[in-house]
Order: sequence, then C-alpha cells, then structure tokens
Amino acid sequence: MKKGFLYFLIAVLVLGSASCKKCLDLKPQDGIVKEEFWKTKEQVKAAVIGIYSSMMESSSGTYGRDNYIPSMAELLFVWGEGRADNVSPATFTSSHDIELVNVNIQAANVNANWRPFYRTINFCNTVIEKAPEVLATDNTFTQAQLDNYLSEALTVRALMYFYLARTFGDVPLKLDATLSDENITPIAKSSQADVLAQIVADLKSAESKSVATYGDPASDKGRVTKYTINTILADVYLWMDKYADCIAECDKIINSQKFGLIRGATINPPVYEYNADWFSSLYYNGNSAEGIFELQYDVQKLNPYFTMFSTISNAPRWVAAPDLMDRVFTVDFTNDQNYDIRGDGASVRAASSSVWKYIGITGTTQRTVNQSFAHWFFYRYADVLLMKAEALNESGQGQPALDILYSVRTRANALAATDLMPGPTDKNLIQDFILMERAREFCFEGKRWFDVLRNTKRNNYERKSIILNMVSQSVPSNMQQSAQVKMQDKNCHYLPIYLYELQTNKLLVQNPFYK
Amino acid sequence: MSKPTINYTFKGSASLVPKALPLLNGDQYSTFIPEAFMNRTGTPLNTTSVREFNYDPNDPYWYYNYSNNTNWIDAISRTGKLQDHTVSLTGGGEKAKYFTSVGFFDQTGITLGTSIRRLNARINLDYNVSEKIKFFTSVAFTNTNQERNYVGSESSIRGMAYIKMPNMSVFEYDELGNLTTNYFSPATNVQGQYTRIYNPVAMAEKAKYTVLGNRVVPRFQVDYDIVKRVLKATFDIQFDINNTKNKSFLPQIATGRPNTETVVNRAYDGDIDAFNVSTQSTLIYTPQFKNDKHSVISFLKLITNDYKVVYQELMTSNTASSLLIDPSIPSRTQNSELRAVSGTSQTRSVGAIASFQYGYDDRYLVNATIRGDGNSKFGPNYRYGLFPSLSFRWRVSQEAFMKNFKKIDDLSFRASYGIAGEAPRYDYLFYNRYTTYDYSYLGQAGVIPSSMELKNLKWQTLHGLNVGANLSMFKGRFRIDAEVYRNRTKDLFFDGLQISSYTGYNSIFMNVGTMDNQGWEVAVWTQPYKKKNLTVSFDFNISGNENIIREISEYYPNSKGDVTKNGEYLRLLQTNNPFGSFYGFKYNGVYKDKDATIARGANGKPIIGPNGQVVYMRFSYPTIDYTFQPGDAMYEDVNHDGNINYMDVVYLGNSNPKLSGGFGPSVTWKNLKISTFFSFRWDYDVVNGTKMSTSNMYYFDNQSTAVLRRWRKEGDVTDMPRALINGGYNWLGSDRYVEDASYIRFRTITARYTFGKKTLSKLKMKTLSAYVTAENLLTFTKYLGQDPEVTFRGSDPFRVSYDYSMTPPAKTITLGIVAGF
Repeated sequence: MKKGFLYFLIAVLVLGSASCKKCLDLKPQDGIVKEEFWKTKEQVKAAVIGIYSSMMESSSGTYGRDNYIPSMAELLFVWGEGRADNVSPATFTSSHDIELVNVNIQAANVNANWRPFYRTINFCNTVIEKAPEVLATDNTFTQAQLDNYLSEALTVRALMYFYLARTFGDVPLKLDATLSDENITPIAKSSQADVLAQIVADLKSAESKSVATYGDPASDKGRVTKYTINTILADVYLWMDKYADCIAECDKIINSQKFGLIRGATINPPVYEYNADWFSSLYYNGNSAEGIFELQYDVQKLNPYFTMFSTISNAPRWVAAPDLMDRVFTVDFTNDQNYDIRGDGASVRAASSSVWKYIGITGTTQRTVNQSFAHWFFYRYADVLLMKAEALNESGQGQPALDILYSVRTRANALAATDLMPGPTDKNLIQDFILMERAREFCFEGKRWFDVLRNTKRNNYERKSIILNMVSQSVPSNMQQSAQVKMQDKNCHYLPIYLYELQTNKLLVQNPFYK
Repeated sequence: MSKPTINYTFKGSASLVPKALPLLNGDQYSTFIPEAFMNRTGTPLNTTSVREFNYDPNDPYWYYNYSNNTNWIDAISRTGKLQDHTVSLTGGGEKAKYFTSVGFFDQTGITLGTSIRRLNARINLDYNVSEKIKFFTSVAFTNTNQERNYVGSESSIRGMAYIKMPNMSVFEYDELGNLTTNYFSPATNVQGQYTRIYNPVAMAEKAKYTVLGNRVVPRFQVDYDIVKRVLKATFDIQFDINNTKNKSFLPQIATGRPNTETVVNRAYDGDIDAFNVSTQSTLIYTPQFKNDKHSVISFLKLITNDYKVVYQELMTSNTASSLLIDPSIPSRTQNSELRAVSGTSQTRSVGAIASFQYGYDDRYLVNATIRGDGNSKFGPNYRYGLFPSLSFRWRVSQEAFMKNFKKIDDLSFRASYGIAGEAPRYDYLFYNRYTTYDYSYLGQAGVIPSSMELKNLKWQTLHGLNVGANLSMFKGRFRIDAEVYRNRTKDLFFDGLQISSYTGYNSIFMNVGTMDNQGWEVAVWTQPYKKKNLTVSFDFNISGNENIIREISEYYPNSKGDVTKNGEYLRLLQTNNPFGSFYGFKYNGVYKDKDATIARGANGKPIIGPNGQVVYMRFSYPTIDYTFQPGDAMYEDVNHDGNINYMDVVYLGNSNPKLSGGFGPSVTWKNLKISTFFSFRWDYDVVNGTKMSTSNMYYFDNQSTAVLRRWRKEGDVTDMPRALINGGYNWLGSDRYVEDASYIRFRTITARYTFGKKTLSKLKMKTLSAYVTAENLLTFTKYLGQDPEVTFRGSDPFRVSYDYSMTPPAKTITLGIVAGF
C-alpha cells in the first residue's frame, strides 16, 4: 500500500509536468491570429475592406473634454473647414474647436490628434506587407488580384499621408506594418517634400496595378480605381506646383468619358425639379456619375455629421458662417427664381444657418439621426475640372481655364454677382475666381482650407494676402489682430504635433511655430 | 460525539450622508450663467432662444420648468441601511466533524436605486478514514442580487446631481404650468444632452441595472500519512463555478432623447460563466532527529490551475415601450453601438515548489525555497520562470549571553530576500490578432489587426528585501516590531502604456522598467495598566513609504501635464527620485481692474513696448497670446517678463505622505471593552479637485456658493475670478488648489459587552456579546476640502492625489450581537 501510493504519486507528478508543455499552449478561440490569417484570397480581401471600414470608425471620449479623440470623418471636416471662412462655431462648440477657429491652437488641442489617420495607415501597411505571402498558400489567388488589392492599400496610404503632410507639414513616415512589439521603435519626422515624394511614388506604383472598374457603381465610387489614383495624383501635383503633370492626370479622367457633371440648373431661369434631382442624386443618394471617391456610410454605420450639424433636438458644433449666403453665393433680391443651386437648400439651410449638405434630404426636409449616412466626398468630377482649370491658369493658359470654370458655374447657375469677369491674361484674378468658385462648389466638403493654403504658398508665398483676407472673415474681431500677426508666419499654417505624440515619441520635435 | 453548538451573529448599521458642499440654488445659478456667457463672447446670452433663463411667466412651460430651486443631492439621497445575519451549527467527534452555516445580508445604499442582497450557505465535513487517511470536504454557495445605478458607479449619479442645473424641475410642468408625474427629461438644453447630462432622479429611479450572481465552490482534500510524522502527502482539488448575469434597461424618460436614437429603451442582457479548477499536490518530509535541537521541514508541491470563462451579451434598443425591458423582445439591433457578442477565454498555469527549512534550537532558522512557474499567458520564449527565495531568523533572546536579561521574553532579528513572478492580466497577448468590424463596407465584412504580437513580454518579478526585528518584554505587555523593506519590481508591467500613434495602436502591455517601493514600519503594542478588572492598552503604528523609478523604458513618457491647460499640473519623471512632486503657477488673486493687468518688470515699473505703448500681461506668448483682462486670475510672473508661461512654473508640493499610521487606546473593565482607533497622515499635499471643479465657472455646470464672491465689475477685490464659460485661463494648475492635507481622524470607537458565565447559564447559552461601533466621528485637519483622506493607489509615477469628494465621509453607526447556544 505504502509503496504503491508513492509510485502513484510520482507517476502523477511526472505525467503532470510532461503534459503541460502542450497544455500551456492556448490559442484564442474567438478571433483569428496571424499564424492562421494570411492564408486565402478571401482573407486578403477582408483586410482590404477593413482599410475602408477603418476610415469610418467613430470618435471616442466626450466631446469638449480632453479625452476626446475625433473620428477621421470629423477631422476631415475640421481640418479642411475649421480654420476657413465658410463655417462658424455655434453656441456649444467645444473650446478645442473654438481655439482652432481663433488661430489659437496648442499642442494639447484634440484636433491635432492624427491618430485615426495613422491607424488606417497601419492597416494599409499590413496589407502591403502580408498580402504577397498569400500567393504561396492560395493557388487560386492570382497576381492580378494581388496587384489590385495592393493598389488600394497603397492609394489609401498615400491619401492619408497627403492629408497629414498638408495639415502638419513634416510628419513621421511609417511604411512597415506594426505586427509585433519589435516594430514600434521611435521615428523622427520626414520633411513634407520627402512625404510628398513617397506619396507620388506610391500612387504611381498603385496606378500600374489598379483596375478601372469593379463592375458595380457603388464599388467604383467606394473603392480605389485607376481614376481615384489619377485624381489624387492631380491634387498632389497641383500642391507641388507641377502643373503639366496635374493637367495630364486630369486629362486621363476627362478622356475616360466615365464621369460627368450631374445636370443641375437649366439656364435662365433655373428649373426647381432639376435642382432637387441634382441634390438628391449627388448628395443624398451618392455614387452618382460625378462621384470619384466617396466614403460609403450606410444605415448600419452612420456618419457623425448629424451630431455635428443638426440644429433639431441637438446642439450643433458647427454652423455656416453668418454671411455665407451674402458673401459667397450672393442673393438675387429681384428674382427669387434666380439662385445658385449650391447655396440655400444645398450647402446651407439659410433659415437656421445649418450645414445642410450632409443632413438634408431635400432643400427643406432634414434627415433623422438614423438616416445620417451621407457619404463623405474625397473627390468628385467637378474637382478634377477645377483642378485642371487652376493648373492651366498657372501655366499661362487663362482662356481654357476660364472655359472650364464657366462650365462648372453654368451647371450650378452661379449668380452674375459672383462673376469676377477676369480677362484671359489676368492670372491673379483668374486664380482668385477659381478659388472662390471652389468655395462655392465644395462648400463644407473639407477643401476650403487646403485650397486657400495651396494658393497662398504658391511661388514661395507670393500671395500671402489670400490667407490674410480669409482670416479677416473667419476669426472674430476681438481675435483678429493676433490671428493676422500669427498668419504672417508660414509655420502657423500647419497644426502643432499633438502633445501626446511628443510625449510618447521622443524623436518627434514640435513644429516650429509651437515650440 | 459532543453536543452541537449553535451560533448566531447579527450586525445592523445606518449610514448618514453628511451635508454636502453648499451649491448655488436655481436663482443664483440663473444669474451666474448669462454673466459667464457674456464675459466669454461679449454678447448677451439670447434668452429668447436659450429659454432656460428667460423666467417669463407668459411662457408657462419654460417658466415653471426652469424657475425652481431644486436640491438635486437631496433628491437622490437617502439613509443607507445594512443588516447581516448568520446562523451556524458545529459539532462532531473523533471520526467526523461538521460545520454548517447560513447567512443573509441586505444593504440599501445612500443613493436611490442601489442595494445588495446576499444569501450564503456552507457545509464542511471532515472524516478520518483511518490513522493514515483523512478527508476534508466543503461546499460553499453564494447568491447575490445587486441593484446598481445604470450609469457606471454610484458616484456618477451623485456627480450628475452636483452639476445639474438647479433651476430645473425634477418633475415636468405641462404647458399650463401644472405639475405632472413625469420626470422632466428634455432631449437637450443649454447644459447639453445625454450622456453629458440627464435627470439624475429619473436615472436612479427608472433605469435599471441588476447583477445576479451564483457561486458554488466545492473543495475536496485527502491527507495520507505515508510514514507517520515523517512523510505525508496531500491532494487538494477545488472547483469554482461563478456565474454572473448583468441585466440593464435604459428607458426613454431617463435620457429624454428622441425615439430615433439608440439610447432610448435600451435593453441589455449579459452572462459571464467562469469555471476554475485548481489542484495542489504536496509531499511533506519532516525527518525526526535524535537530537531534538535540529528540526527540518521540507516539501515539494505541484500546483495547477485552469480558468475558463464564457460570456455572451445582447444589447438592443428602442423596444416598443418602457415596460418591455428584455433584449429578446423585437427591437432595433443594427447600429454599431448595439451588439450581440459572445466569447471565451482560457488561462492555464502550472507551478512546482521545493522548500527546505532548517532550525536549530529555536535560535536559528533558515528557509530556502525555489519555485518554477509556467503560464499560458506568455509566448513560447518566456513561458517559464524560476523564482528562488531565502530567509533567516535569529532569536537572540535564546542565546546564553541573554540569560541575564530576565525582562525580555523575546528578541529576534530576521532578514529575507525573495523573488516572485507575476503573469499579465490578459490572455493571448503574444498573438497578432485579427478582428472583424461590427459593420460592413459595401456590404462586405472588413477585418483588421486588433493587437500586435508581444514577442518580448516577460514575467514581472518582485525582488523583496526585508530586514526586521521584534522585541517582547514584561510578559508580552510591551511588544515592538520594526522593519525596513525594499520591494523592487523588475520588468514592471504597464497595462496600457501609451505609444505613439504612428504605430497604428494606442497602447500596449509592456515591461517598462524597474521600480522600488521602499520604506519602514514600526508597530508598538503596550498594556501600561493591567489589573484583575481593568486593563488599559495602547497600540501605535507608524510608517513611511516612497516609490522610486530606477530604470524606465524609452517609450515611457518623461513628463505629464500641460501647464497651459486649465486644471493641469506638471509632473516629471526622474529616475532615482521619489515620485509625487508636482509643479504649477503661483496664484496671486484676481486682476481688479485694467490698470492691474499692465505688465511690470522686476523693478515694479510698467514695461513699455518698442513704440512706447503700454504692455499688458499676456499668457503664453506667442503661441496662445491671450491678454489678461480685469477679473482674470493673476499668476505670479516669476521672471518679470510680462508673459505668464512655462518659465513661471514653480514647485508646488508632493503628494506622498512623509508619515502615516494609526494609534488606539482601549480599556477593558470586567466584561466591557471599549476600543478606539485613530489614523493619521503627516505632510502631504493634495490637489483640492472639488474646489477646482466647483468654482472654475468654465462649463454650464452648477458651482459651489464660493463663486458668489466672484469678480463682477472693475474694482472688485476678491480671490475668485470672473465667470468665463469655455474660455480664459482662470483655473490653471496653481497653488490655489494645493493644500497640506495632514490629518488625524477618530476612525472608530467600539463598545463591546460580553456576558459572564452566570448570566449565560441562566439563559442556557454558551456565549453572548453585543457591541456598538461608530465610524468617522471626528477629523482634525487644517485641510479645507471635504475629506483629506485621499486614496492613492497604483504605480503610476505621475499620479497626484486629487480630492474630488463633495461630502465628508459618511458617519456610520453599527449594532451587533454574537450569540452561541
């Protein structure tokens, strides 16, 4: 008995310790791990779709408090419009947003938090790094399919960096995926020029791999096609003052004949039905012939714009600038049938000063919160036309630039009061005219600040007056003077690096204006 | 077999909420907000659109609903009660012993809608099979039913009551000005909307959050004497079945939001079922020596643990009515904040311990132990760890040369050094995991990496070094125990270390460095007076403790806090320096007029600009460049450059107490014992967060009555700046909020009467005693906040003690009885 028991005990001990080698090897039973993930083409596709989904992630924290992290959708709006003259803060706008408007932004302002962009960049990097391995494990996965997925990841990454470079100037350029804790070594900022060079290289490489269509209109607008890439390239070239390259990219899209302007107003007088149809197909439904790249919100995943703009049972964060109608679109007081269709009832609801583009169903009815799925427009065809016009004007071709410009104006029945009537050789006036037309055409589409900055910085800040004039509209009078002084410094045109980033990455140096 | 013994204990208590910090009433609030708004924007608050402050009897709906003086705190408070009963039965004999008990606990909290009810039962049964084999078995069962407030912890309803606008009514008035029975929950008002603001009474009364728990813990142990008194084996297996259900419902009336939103009639049901099996197998070897001065105890132990948890939850919203509170009822499910999820997680660990202890003549004692651990939470590289420890004790009083010191009962010195390993809190950290979005894009599911692979995650090890001594004299009437320790944590875990976002991640779990927790403790027990009927005793303990970072990862931030932001203090991380220090501005009161805001140099003369113009004080030029206005907070311009910025930041304090401890005299007279306990802390600085949040006048929140003395017009001399909603720099981290919170608190007094043998035999009882305890009767402190006893926990080197308490601690009176039959 005694011995037997002892042997039994030893056996238990030995068996116990031998079998635990395996028993300590536990895998999560829900969710997938890297070792099992990158195996099939379906998984690669899901990861690519994940990139797009990530751009629609919600904000976190409490609006107005320091723990708030705005969503990408919100930052796209705030970066593009917040400091410009088309919007105003409302009564309950957070101090963070107000400081941005007043050119008072500091490193701790949540609007300087670039986190959502780098989050998406990491998902792009992961696809770029891991997708090629799948060719070895899935025989049905073709090189052409892989190329297509890579073109999407490269393009979205380039687009994200383009926003970052235009907003912050120099930014860290991370091109490898963060797969493990060995990929998190601190990196310093790269210069804006280097980032732009990387963007161009990525887009060029993506263009050669891309497809022209996915076979259904929604995917053609919601995912990256060859034309998405051409459009972004045109925008990047325009930013880099490479006008010939910009025109060449624009022509690729124009000559494809796949896109066009949605019919808007008939001339003199505008017919209201066309107007309604124009708003509904371009903005309410989305994915029209005019769309090039639209972020596809739907009933399942709502955008944050209702919360940001609705004035019904809601405290809006942003409203239209009080003089937006008079200054930008103008009003024909002699004939109420003669109006710019992009004004009241489209971009803005003049009665409540609401930012209407994302919350309207028609000119007068508003969406409810669970209908808040208007797409975000990264690019649409009118943008291609006006980019080309801008590039033509800068390369000394005033007349063709004006021809394009008037075609866009005609579609919208822009009022005569907004026609600056420049001569074909009056380059500066044409430049101003195009810039103002862009303010009307892309009102609240997150373009205005970047348009103003691009025109201001052109030819080594030749026309600083552009940004100074805008500041005189956007900043309240009691802050005017200090804002004007700050805007003289070109470093102030870029946002500060968020305090959190400086604290967590010791190689980062604060941007010059904010030191 | 002996006769069974029955025991009964009872405890009952009542907690009173002390008077809170006085807040503005509705009328005072309604003058303060428009003023604050005007100061901020330069234009008056438009009361025809912001009708909360219109006070127009011709607009009866708004007038009646927004012209009250509601005390929201009183509206959500009540006296807390507690009762606790336990009945137990013990008995048995040579062969078998048994114990069984049943308990009932019922508590209602001081906030409406909170209570806990618990039922527990236990059976122990021990049986001696033979001289060599013994069985021990037990089963414990607990059933818990807790009612919580829907929103987070209890403090969030209370927190809401403190900031909620007091001119609002609890119940809604109709268009004619008649009071209805509906709670007044507007969809939105000037203070905002749910989740930022809500009606706390409606939330406490109508929203539900129930936690139901059932826990069964069976245990089985067998002891086998292989060689009597020399070799013994024990096997122990314990199961723990712990099932919890959370059920909640958020009705429309609690949030006031329209039916299109998902925070209306939101129903939730979640189950968490945990199952744990742990075993211990031990072989104990205690050789017997002829010379009984030697003693050896050694053992070998094998430990296994297997923990598995399965959970599932379902959340839907917009059920058809506030009476339909279950998510299984047809309701909305599609939005991403609603969910139907399930999951499972498992952890296993194994450990082996070998221990050897040798003692000689009760004078010397040496113990050496080595422990090996393996844990499934680590990747293959670092799955196993080896942790030795060594300790030594020398009982000096047993030495021959101590024979002459007759008064000394015991004097010994001890020292130990040991290493212990700790596994992280989470499973599967060493995998690069992928997850699916809960929404689709173009109708297709997207997958993203949700966590990176932590290849370098190691065991956190605690290296404890401890030297101590104890002395006992006069037959135990004077005892002292002193010790110095240093607990060094190497490869310190940091849960959620924030990392730079270019990585695509927010935070990781990481080993970040080495931290020392070091200090000393002295405890004294005395009985200065001891006679037959009367004993007076006095106990005392005192300790000092500090935390020091010795080594830290490059990813770890070296400072925290932006002094240009309201409410923040600068904290620096310096290796080899104790933490707890914080820095900020010096507060000099309020600029009484325009003239006071003129910038002055070191000589007191105004600073003149390059064009001869007057220069006014500015804040953080050139990035913020705010010009101070009359009524703004005035900070010391340390370098006299007319610019308040980071260069004016000075040391303000340290929130690590120099000393802390407690003492308590007690008196025993015949059968009555009165014992007391005081606790104290000395020399530590606390940020009075309550003062900050109730007088910053920065949000549309209610404030304390201290803001009644705020600056209002040119020439006002006061220490309270002007009201300024969402603007200005009036509550920067400064010495205005820093106070020395040293205190002595009379924590408890207990009077216990134990009935004597005579009375007991008359009552046919074995034991009977009764007691009364009062808690938190008195506090002696210079601290002006509500409660100087700020808890500080954790190992965050940037932590500063903030006191956010709005009331002094609750005074509790407890009554108890212990009876045995």
